[in-house]
Amino acid sequence: MPTSNSNSSNVKIRQPSLSLSKQEDLLNVQTSYYFKPEDMKLTDKQKFQKLIWDPEHKQFLGRNATSWSKICLFYLVFYGMLAALVAICMWVFFQTLDPRIPKWQMDSSIIGTNPGLGFRPMPTADNAESTLIWFEGSNKTNFNKWVNNLSAFLDKYYTPGKTEKGTASIRKCSYNQPPKRGQVCDFDVRLWGECSPDKFFNYHRNAPCIFLKLNRIYGWVPEYYNDIHDLPENMPDDLKKHIASVKPEERNTIWISCEGENPADIEYLGPISYHPQVQGFPGYYYPYENSEGYLSPLVAVQFLRPVSGIVINIECKAWAKNIKHSRADRTGSVHFELLID
Amino acid sequence: MGKKKEAKPRKLNRKDQSLKRLENFKKEIVTDHHTVPIDVLCSRLETDIERGLSQYKARQLFMETGPNALTPSRKTPEYIKFIKTITEGFSLLLWIGASLCIIAAVIEYVYRKKVDTDNLLLAAVLVLIIIMTGIFMYYQQNKSSKIMDSFATMIPQKAEVIRDGQQITVNVKDLVVGDLVDMKFGDRIPADVRITKSQGFKVDNSSITGENEPLLRTNQCTNENILETRNVAFFSTNAVEGTAQGIVIMCGDHTVMGKIAGLTARLHPSITPLARELNRFMTIITFWAVILGIIFGVASIAIGYPWIDSALFIIGIIVSNVPEGLLATVTLSLTVTAKKMALKNCLVKNLEAVETLGSTNVVCSDKTGTLTQNKMTVCHLWYNGDVVQADISEDQYDARKYTETPGFDILIRCATLCNRAEFINTRTPRKYIMKWEVRGDASEAAILKFIELTRLEGDPDEFRKAHKKLIELPFNSTSKIQLSIHALANNCLMVMKGAPERILERCKTIFINDDVEELSDELRQTCEKACFELAARGERILGFCDMEMKDTYTYSYPFTIDPLPNFPTEGLRFVGFISLIDPPRPEVHNAVETCKTAGIKVIMVTGDHPVTAKAIAKEVGIITTDSIEDAALFYNADHDETKDAIVVSGTTLRELQQDELDAILYTYNEIVFARTSPTQKLQIVEGLQRLKNIVAVTGDGVNDSPALKKADIGIAMGISGSEVSQQSADMILMDDNFASIITGIEEGRKIFDNLKKSIVYVLASNIAELAPCLMFIVCNIPLPLGILAILCIDVLTDMLPAISLAYEKAESDIMKRTPRNPNVDNLVTFRLYFLAYCHIGVLEACAGFFVYFLIMYEYGFKPNRLFGLRPEWDTYYINDLEDSYGQEWSYEERKQLEYTCSTAFMIAVVVCQWGDVLACKTRLNSIMVQGMTNWFMNVSILIETLLAIFLTYTPYMSYLKFYPVGLHCWLYALPFSGLILLFDEYRKFCIRNYPRGYFYRETYY
Repeated sequence: MPTSNSNSSNVKIRQPSLSLSKQEDLLNVQTSYYFKPEDMKLTDKQKFQKLIWDPEHKQFLGRNATSWSKICLFYLVFYGMLAALVAICMWVFFQTLDPRIPKWQMDSSIIGTNPGLGFRPMPTADNAESTLIWFEGSNKTNFNKWVNNLSAFLDKYYTPGKTEKGTASIRKCSYNQPPKRGQVCDFDVRLWGECSPDKFFNYHRNAPCIFLKLNRIYGWVPEYYNDIHDLPENMPDDLKKHIASVKPEERNTIWISCEGENPADIEYLGPISYHPQVQGFPGYYYPYENSEGYLSPLVAVQFLRPVSGIVINIECKAWAKNIKHSRADRTGSVHFELLID
Repeated sequence: MGKKKEAKPRKLNRKDQSLKRLENFKKEIVTDHHTVPIDVLCSRLETDIERGLSQYKARQLFMETGPNALTPSRKTPEYIKFIKTITEGFSLLLWIGASLCIIAAVIEYVYRKKVDTDNLLLAAVLVLIIIMTGIFMYYQQNKSSKIMDSFATMIPQKAEVIRDGQQITVNVKDLVVGDLVDMKFGDRIPADVRITKSQGFKVDNSSITGENEPLLRTNQCTNENILETRNVAFFSTNAVEGTAQGIVIMCGDHTVMGKIAGLTARLHPSITPLARELNRFMTIITFWAVILGIIFGVASIAIGYPWIDSALFIIGIIVSNVPEGLLATVTLSLTVTAKKMALKNCLVKNLEAVETLGSTNVVCSDKTGTLTQNKMTVCHLWYNGDVVQADISEDQYDARKYTETPGFDILIRCATLCNRAEFINTRTPRKYIMKWEVRGDASEAAILKFIELTRLEGDPDEFRKAHKKLIELPFNSTSKIQLSIHALANNCLMVMKGAPERILERCKTIFINDDVEELSDELRQTCEKACFELAARGERILGFCDMEMKDTYTYSYPFTIDPLPNFPTEGLRFVGFISLIDPPRPEVHNAVETCKTAGIKVIMVTGDHPVTAKAIAKEVGIITTDSIEDAALFYNADHDETKDAIVVSGTTLRELQQDELDAILYTYNEIVFARTSPTQKLQIVEGLQRLKNIVAVTGDGVNDSPALKKADIGIAMGISGSEVSQQSADMILMDDNFASIITGIEEGRKIFDNLKKSIVYVLASNIAELAPCLMFIVCNIPLPLGILAILCIDVLTDMLPAISLAYEKAESDIMKRTPRNPNVDNLVTFRLYFLAYCHIGVLEACAGFFVYFLIMYEYGFKPNRLFGLRPEWDTYYINDLEDSYGQEWSYEERKQLEYTCSTAFMIAVVVCQWGDVLACKTRLNSIMVQGMTNWFMNVSILIETLLAIFLTYTPYMSYLKFYPVGLHCWLYALPFSGLILLFDEYRKFCIRNYPRGYFYRETYY
């Protein structure tokens, strides 16, 4: 049997004949169809090298220069056209959208009608995902990062019109003089009193100011608790008293309240003072309609004598009839911790 | 085992070992059970030549040796099979993904004491997918193997045994060595039996040797070699004539048959081309996925992502790259095809074999029983100086041409009387005479059927009764004649048949030209010429002559043939020849033709005589030319190089060297191998495989089984095929219809085509899944497509359409193109990737991002805002992220927006996949030509859509990060879907019209 090596000695050796030479040709023809004979001799490594760069045919990854340039050109054109097509499609669709007014608003959008409450200063990136405000009042470099954070955030309030260009008509508003269409209200930074960058927001005195802000939602109009007889039961008594003490025309306000989360926290937290005097976001700032120069109203909450060395859990809430408080979704209320060393 | 270890097991691989065994096969069977005197044997086996074994002894032996049956090849335990299915291929990648998820979750828990539900959910889903596909594949495999198991146990058999002097009937598997068995014609020999008594007992050893020549079995030992001696009948061969009694000398696996069966079981079949292709594909995908995953994982860590995020990229990239549904698609499409084949009476034992048939480019076919019916049939008659074609149709329309002619009745009378065959059953329905069962020798049976068809003399049985047989000299191989004397009305008639030259030499006169003439030398030559002509067609010729005996020999004359006939047996009247042939199956010719148009070489490999082989080969179209090379001349210088066909006999083959055989196999398009042994069959198959051919072997005998096993696909005959051959084969033609092979080839090619289509379809969505991950890392946009959404696309929405492509009907050119070249035409080629990734995939990704950016804009985030937004977007404590309209989004709100976009992205992909699946329906034809008749696909598109709707709009899907999106999101992707379809139509148009153009070269897969 010709197949086995052990028998090869038994096989009689025939003279090379014409047929054998012909057969060589045949096998050559055949191998050129099935596999290149020179490829057969190569090791896997050599085959791989040949695939990467074949010096004989000047082929890189199985293609020569012409082939590569052709295919590159094809894809250049093809993708160019595709990109143009997508761009055109996008442009056409974007024409249907107003650059100033979002297509989906409030309940038709995902943003909904229940704005989130936010606070400043923000915890820094090195302590991400934490809501702890931790500083040493005696160490300037330590609390300065919080102060700088706040200063940066409040920059546009101190220099109105800096971020927005030109045409905004900014005016002073009051409860009696709400802004007309196209106008935006300015914000009197003096209302924050103690909580000013000049005074390091009182961080150096261990009586830090935390600024609260309500998320802007296009077109959202708050429904105020402006009737002192119609206040929710879970509203803190301090706030109720405050509302009663406020002039009736100033009661169109989204009220703000801050408390320690637990009785112990309340005790550690001590007295709180709110700036401006009317403890909340004045109603004339709403609705937000993406007018240029619009500034969100802010409330500065100052914790006057918090106990040092203990983490105090604080929860602040915004009060309006159409704000629901959800700790999980972080809407209508905000939670943070305060730790003063 | 011990021997194996000594013989350098590392050097010799399994194949070599098997080959060695095969070559040593004949030497292996060394025994003297057939040579020793019978009483020695009896005492050795403790049996008795008259009374058989005692019941007790038989029972005892049975306990010791076990049942007389071939042990099936050892089976892998079920749980191992299952574990295999869930650890093979892509499952491994998915396991990696799942474990990454779990590791991430564990570390998250250890460091932050936070249970990471997202990663755990992902891990659970991944494991679920692995187990589900595993169960599905296991179920499919189990189902197909069960079919085969039931098939194997279909044939319980009985044997007549004498034990304690009592004749009893037992199951064949209860036989033990030493049993005295009775056998008669029609039985299958129950074990290897040494004959003790015989009355004209003949067996057909074709299941061992491939030759269906009836061989006489007597109690005489005629050869040292057990395979050659006359006093042994072999297990599983058939008794065709006479009765016999004998002693069982070998049982079960020790029988000759058992050894051959064991031999074939040890020959491991080569890995199927489909499995090879799938492995290749899996390797490529695995490398691609792992490399991409590592590159991006490392890159993202280098850029400064937390490693948890980086792990997420890796998982995302792996998950999006792995076509989770592919193996299920493969298994299912194979099963679908196997079922379809079963309807056409093809039993597919090995699922992947179906595809193998499609890539076959050489079919090696056995002749007897495969190409031919394995039924002797009267083919030509020669009488009165003319050759006529015998009409064996039921209506006997053509027979009228000759039934009326003089001389025919004389021939038929002679043939009727000089014939020992009888019909077994009552012949009530005068239909399907060719299928009636006949007792007796094959050629006599054929003649009897022919007579019954013509019914010239009425019922042949009646006719014989009317002419009582006075004496008979049965056919024997020395005299090669058979004669009998019958009583006529007044005198006696001697009829004789036999080998033509023996008959002619006993004749003095001839019936020719409607008269009786002296048989001159000239006439004798005419007869011989006719005889040669018929013989050249591969037919077996019988001569007939008769003589009305002189008055002295009345029916009361005491005729005797012992020791010598007491009557003259010469000077007879020659009446004609009847030639017989084993006719080719009617469907074979067309099938061979179709094979040739499909670029498939059909080679005949037979154990039969070259002349017969050549004749049949010509008849069925394997050889189409008259210039046939004689292989004996091949290695001489003077052989004719122009010839296209060659006939190689076994003896020549033995002399050929391996490379010469290869050259023959390569050079000639039409090849016939005659007088080949089982080893040579194997050698031919190996030669073909050496030339990188994909070889299909068809056969029915045990002698074919090594070749069947060695072939890339073995095809056995269901009715006429022997058990062993069926066991070795991958496919069984239950109705012995050769044309089913054509269906098989077509189905196999279709599978391959459709699998490619399916892969293009599945791969296309990968880019749309991968691109979001890349954009997420590179452009820092909020994640456009979540990992769960990717999984849902891969295993839910994409699954059914991908499978439905398996139901796609074949394209117009499927049987007109040449078989695929296994070295070049891979399942997945560069072109296929190009098309799927760079064309369709990119379009889909465009659609996805288009929808993503649009929706983000609609909700307030303009594209320019999105770039670079990711770090803030994904930061939990930032609860007031500003959008382009100055609105501020809380974390939960924007995450919901992200998931909404992800859902919209998924819907965009689903919508694009509509276009994709329609584009993938064809590789060449326009969809207009192909039509939309694939209802499975139409329904699957609907289900795909419904699934997407379900995922999007079911209330609690928000747990899986799916949020309802507006209906308009569906419309945004629609133009892209249309574009995919249109572009692909254009591409196919170019391929059809510019067959060497750019699109053909770069994208025709």
